[in-house]
Amino acid sequence: MTDVLRASAVRTATRRPGSLWRRHREWITPVLLLAPGLILFLLIIVIPTLQSFRLSLYDWDGIGPMSWVGLGNYSELFADPQFLTSLKNNIIWLILFLLAPVGGLVLALLVNQKVKGIRLAKSLFFMPLVLAPVTVGVVYSWFYDPTFGMMALIFNAFGATPPAILSDPDLVTFGIVAAALWPQVAFCMVLFLAGLNNLDEDVLGAGRVDGARGFPMFWHVVLPQLRAASFIALTVTVIGALRSFDLIAIMTQGGPYGSSSVLAYQMYEQAIFSYRMGYAAAIATVLFGVMAVFIIWYLSRVVSAEARRDR
Amino acid sequence: MSYPIPVQQARPAIRALYPVAIVVVLALWLLPLVAITVTSIRSAEDLMVGNYWGWPKSFNLFENYQAVFTQTAMARFFFNSLVITLPTVFFVMILSTMMGFVLARYRFRGNMLLFALLIGGNFIPHQILMIPVRDFMLKIGLYDTPYALILFHTVFQTGFATLFMRNFIADLPGELFEAARVEGTSPWQVLWHIVTPLVRPALAALGVLIFTFVWNDYFWALVLTQADTVRPVTAGLATLRGQYVTAWNIISAATVLVAIPPVLMFFLMQRHFVAGLTMGAVKG
Amino acid sequence: MKKRSDVPFGTASRRTVLKTLAAGAGVAALGGGWSGAAFAEDRVLTINTNISGEGQRKLMAQFIEEFTKETGIQVQQNAMDHEGYKTAIRNFLVANPPDVCLWFSGDRMRAFVNRGLFDDMSDLWVKEGWADKVGALTTTVTVDGKQYGVPTGASFWGIWARKDYLDKYADGKAPATWDELLAFGDKMVADGISPFAIGTKDLWPAAAWFDYLNLRINGYDFHMKLMAGEASYEDPKLDAVFDKWQELVDRKFFIPNHTSYDWQGAVPFLLQGKAGMYLMGQFLTRNIPAADLDKYTYLQFPTIDPAVAIAEEFPVDSMHIPSGAKNKDLARQFIAFFYQPQRLALWVEPEGNIPTRSDVPVLKKDWLLEKGQAILQSAKSASQYYDRDTDPDMAQIGMNGFQQFMADPKSRKAVQARLEQARKRIYKQS
Repeated sequence: MTDVLRASAVRTATRRPGSLWRRHREWITPVLLLAPGLILFLLIIVIPTLQSFRLSLYDWDGIGPMSWVGLGNYSELFADPQFLTSLKNNIIWLILFLLAPVGGLVLALLVNQKVKGIRLAKSLFFMPLVLAPVTVGVVYSWFYDPTFGMMALIFNAFGATPPAILSDPDLVTFGIVAAALWPQVAFCMVLFLAGLNNLDEDVLGAGRVDGARGFPMFWHVVLPQLRAASFIALTVTVIGALRSFDLIAIMTQGGPYGSSSVLAYQMYEQAIFSYRMGYAAAIATVLFGVMAVFIIWYLSRVVSAEARRDR
Repeated sequence: MSYPIPVQQARPAIRALYPVAIVVVLALWLLPLVAITVTSIRSAEDLMVGNYWGWPKSFNLFENYQAVFTQTAMARFFFNSLVITLPTVFFVMILSTMMGFVLARYRFRGNMLLFALLIGGNFIPHQILMIPVRDFMLKIGLYDTPYALILFHTVFQTGFATLFMRNFIADLPGELFEAARVEGTSPWQVLWHIVTPLVRPALAALGVLIFTFVWNDYFWALVLTQADTVRPVTAGLATLRGQYVTAWNIISAATVLVAIPPVLMFFLMQRHFVAGLTMGAVKG
Repeated sequence: MKKRSDVPFGTASRRTVLKTLAAGAGVAALGGGWSGAAFAEDRVLTINTNISGEGQRKLMAQFIEEFTKETGIQVQQNAMDHEGYKTAIRNFLVANPPDVCLWFSGDRMRAFVNRGLFDDMSDLWVKEGWADKVGALTTTVTVDGKQYGVPTGASFWGIWARKDYLDKYADGKAPATWDELLAFGDKMVADGISPFAIGTKDLWPAAAWFDYLNLRINGYDFHMKLMAGEASYEDPKLDAVFDKWQELVDRKFFIPNHTSYDWQGAVPFLLQGKAGMYLMGQFLTRNIPAADLDKYTYLQFPTIDPAVAIAEEFPVDSMHIPSGAKNKDLARQFIAFFYQPQRLALWVEPEGNIPTRSDVPVLKKDWLLEKGQAILQSAKSASQYYDRDTDPDMAQIGMNGFQQFMADPKSRKAVQARLEQARKRIYKQS
C-alpha cells in the first residue's frame, strides 16, 4: 500500500533533498490522512460484513450453536416465491425513487434565493427528513385509510368508492413509495443546495455573457457543474431505494401477505422476528450483490467523467 | 453571482409571484406535517373513534406535550442524544475531509478500490452487522456506553461522508492545486487553507445530514445500549409505543419535539451554505 | 390507592439518577482515604423492563423506590419499549445481562431456558411457598419441573360486543353456539353492518381466530401438538377449522379491507357501529372511551363441538433472573419483594390483567376483572396465543398465511402447504 502510494505521489510535488520527513512526506501525508478512517472502517464495517457473508452459510438463531448448511440458505431463498416478489418491488422502488433527485433539484432551485424568510422556508422543506418514520408512516396510513382516511373523505365527497391502497397487492408498493419519497426529496434538496452554492462563478458569468438563459443555460452551464451533487444524490437515492424498509414495517409489515416486501424488509423480518440470522445474512449478501452492480457502474462513470475533465 | 438569478433582479411580476409560489408549494409539501401537528394536540378519544382528519373534539396541546416528558425520561434522552450526535458529526467531518481529499487529489493504484470499499460500506443493510458489531464493542469494553454509538456512527457515516467530500473536492478547480504545488505548499496547508474554506458549504450540508441521521437512529441504540442513562431520544419515543395500545397523539407530540434540534441545526447552518466570498478571495 | 404514584415518573427517575450519581461520587471521594468495606452495599441492582403502559411504569418506579428505602439497595431500571425489547433482550442476555428482566412465559421463556440464559428459581419458589398460591399458572414458568420465573399477570381474550346490537339482533342473548353466532351475524350483515372488526395488518389478530377455532373444534391437546410442531398443517383435522373460518369470510362477517388496519385502527369500526363485535384481548377496553365502556359486553367464544372441553387464550407475562446476572441474591430479594399479594394487586390493575396469585386482594370491584377470573376458573386449559406458543419463525410464517387466507380464501391449500413446509423445516422433520 505505501509502495503504491509512493509510486503515485510523484504527481503532488517536486522532490527536494533534505530531512527524512521532507523526502517522504509526499507519501506519508496521504497515508496519515487515510489511516485512521480506513482502520476503523476495516474493523467496524468490513470485517463484520465479511463475517455476515460467512454467516450466510450457516443456520443460526443468534444465540445457540451454529450449524453449517453450505449454500442451503441461498437455494432456499431462490426457491422462495417471496424472493421474486421482493426483488420486483425493489425494482419498483428503484425506478420511482429516481423522482427524488429530480424533485430535490426543483425544490433547491426554487428556494436558492436570498429573500426575507427564506431560511425558515428552507428549514420547513427540510423537515420531512427529520420526522420519525414511525409517525410519517402512521399519518400516511391514515391518509390512505379506505374508511376514515383523507382519501376516503375526498372520494366519498364525489360519491366514489375509495381505493384500499394498502390492501391492494398491485397498488400497495406505490402507496409506500409515495410516502418514502417525501423525506428522500428533502434529502436530495439539501445536496443540491450545497451544489448550487459551489458553482463556479466565472463559468456562470461567462455563460450569461454569452447570452445563455432559460433552459439551455441550466442544461449546458449549470447542470454539468452540479455533477458532484447529482452523483451523490443519485447514489443516496439508490441506497435509499434498496435499503430502506422502515415505512414498509410501519405501513404494511410487508403485507398484504408479502406483496409489499422488499429484500431489506425480508431480511429484517428474518433476522428480527424469525431469528434466522443465517438466512437473513444470505438475503443481505444477495442484496449487496445487486448493489455491487450499481457500484461498478457508478465508479466507471466517475472515472470516465474525471478522465474527460482532466484531459 | 448565483444561480438561479436572484428574484430581486427579476421582472416585477416574478418578484411578486415568488413568495406566493413558495407559500403554496410549502403548504402542499407540509400537509403530512400539519397532520402530525394536529394529531399531536388531539385527545385520545378522537383517535379511538377514527377522527383522524376532522376538527379536533378537544385541544390537548399542553397535556400531550407534557405527557412526553412525564411518561418517559425524555429530558435525559435529549441530553444523551446530544452527547452521541455532536461528537459524531465532528469526527465524521474531520475523517471524511481527510479521506476525501486524498481520494480526490492523489493518484495511486487502489484509489478506486478504496473508494469502492467506502461506497460498498454504505450499501450494506446494516442490521446484518448487529451481532458482529455488538461483539466487537463488548470486546473493547464500550458496550452500553455512549462511546459505542459514537464510534459506530462515526465509522458508518464516514463511508457516505467520504463519498460526499471526495466528489466535492474533486470538483474544485485544478489550478488551485497546481498553484499550491508550484509554491511547494505542504499537503496539510493545502488541506487546511485551500480545501477546507472552499468546501465549507458542502461541509455545512454534510454536517446537517449526519446530525440528522445519527439523531434519528434507533436500531443501533437498541443493539449497543440498554441503560436509561445512555439511550437516545429515539428510544424514548419508542417507549411511548405500547405493547397493544399506542397513544398516537402523544407519539406525534414527541415526533415534533424530537425533530426540533435537527431542524434548528439546519436553520443555523444555512449561514455557511453560501460560498461565494471565499471562493472569490482565493481565486482573486 | 394513589400512594406515591402522583410523583411524575420523569422526576422520580431523574432523582434516582442523581441519587445514584451522588452515591457514586461519594464513594469515589471517600475511596481515597477509607477502605471500601464501609460501603458494603454499593452494588446496584439492574432491572430491564418492557413496560408499555404509563400506569405500570409509574408503579415500577414506585416499587423500586420503596425497595431501596426498605433495603438500602440501589436499583437501576432500564425502561425499554415493548417492541424493541424483543431484539434487545437477545443482545443483553448474551452481552451484558441485568439482574432482573421482564419477559413472556411459555415457549418464549423456554427458548431462553434451553439456551441456559435464565436462572433456575425453584429455590425461591420453595422458600416463598409460591406453588400453592400460583396454582395452575405455575406450569407457565416451569421447564422439567423447575421454575425459571414468576408469572406477573395474564391477559384474557374473548368477543367484545356492542350491547345495543346484541339487543337489536339477538334479543340481548349472547350467542353460545356456532349457529347462534351465524344467525346473529347474518342479521347485522343484512343491515349493512360487519359483524366483526379486525385489523390484520398487525398479522397477529388473525391468529386469534385460528387459535379459537382450533381450540373449539379440535381441542387443546391437538392445538398444543400443532404449536409444538408435532402435528401437520395439512392434517385433515384442520379442514374443519378452515371450513368454519371460510364460512365467516364468505358471509362477509369481517370488515372490508382489514389488511389496511392494525388492530387499533379497526377499533373505530366498533365504536362507530360499523361493526358489532371484536375478538380481542381485554386491552381492547383501554381503547374505548371510559364513558362508553358500559355500552360493551364480553362474550365467551361460542361452543362449536360440545364434546370439546373449553379452553381459552391466556398470554402470561413474567419476571426472570438471567443466568449471567451479577447480583442473583439481590435479584431474588427484589422479586420476593415485588411478588407480594398487595403489590401484585396494584400491578395488574392498570392493564386490566388477571392476577396470577389466588391470594391477591380485590382493590375495587370491576366487572372486567371478575369476568376474567371467572373465565380463568371455568376454562379447562389455557393456551398462550399463537405467537407465544409456537416457534417465532413458525409464528411469522403462520400469521402471514392466516392473513392471506382471510383476504383470499381461495389461497387456502397453498397457505396450508406453505405452513407445513415451514413446520418441517423448523422442527427438522421430513
